[in-house]
Amino acid sequence: MSTIQIAFLVGLLLVLGAVTVFSGAVLRSAARGGRGASLGFAGRRAEHGELGRGAFLAHRVTGFAIFAFLCLHILDVALYSVSHRLYDGVQHVYGTAPLRLLESGLLFAVLFHTGNGLRLLAVDGFRTSPGRSLQLLRIVIASAVVLGAAGSALILAPLV
Amino acid sequence: MSAPAAWELPPRAVVEDEPSSRVFGYVALRVTGLMLSVLVLGHFAVTHFVTDVARDDSAFVSRRLSSTLWIAWDATMLAAALAHGAFGVRLAIADYSTDARVRRLWERVVAGVVVVLFVVGVVVIARAANA
Repeated sequence: MSTIQIAFLVGLLLVLGAVTVFSGAVLRSAARGGRGASLGFAGRRAEHGELGRGAFLAHRVTGFAIFAFLCLHILDVALYSVSHRLYDGVQHVYGTAPLRLLESGLLFAVLFHTGNGLRLLAVDGFRTSPGRSLQLLRIVIASAVVLGAAGSALILAPLV
Repeated sequence: MSAPAAWELPPRAVVEDEPSSRVFGYVALRVTGLMLSVLVLGHFAVTHFVTDVARDDSAFVSRRLSSTLWIAWDATMLAAALAHGAFGVRLAIADYSTDARVRRLWERVVAGVVVVLFVVGVVVIARAANA
């Protein structure tokens, strides 16, 4: 394993560590009934029900995870500008089994975060009722699961 | 007559009693989010489904960045993703920090990281575009 590949894996561990610490803080705050129960204007548009609160927490955790990975990803793509050999070295790691599993997880996170974000836009923009909002949330979760599973099958296929 | 529920209020009425910087943050988060729903899913599909991730090597990047469409795509996605991440993390920081000084410190850390990554990304795309 080359130095740049080891550096990439260290970066990946930092990303996973940051996500763990952040998720812990979000969940601890939620367990104490702390702030952060809405994503609407001025915190007025509180989420309804257990599922709605779960969606808020999942949106926040997936958002942070995607952002943390983005920071690493911009740096690893930047290697292309330094040397194609270094870029290809890290690129090779992306094709290994553990990374493909992480990419599948990332796909589920992106799909849920996108779907739930579009739901929030609909709720804000079209004065959606709480009942309709929860109905949309169930559609978002179902689509993320189905599309995520289909995409993961494609990502993991080369391993079998 | 009871006051209308929060979800019954049109967004405009909700916006009016908010400080303008927070309103800007919310609007920026939503506009960039809408853009990213196309840009990021498209990026993921191209780099994982259309082409397997094992074949996203430097030759693949060279091919892709020889097209004006993909240069514009990547540059827009870079700016939108970093802005969306910064505004989103700022909301979380505001929710979880009890100390105003600690909050400002974390906001500066995030802003610094985002600015550095934006400059790095722009330089990489510009160099590839001129190659």
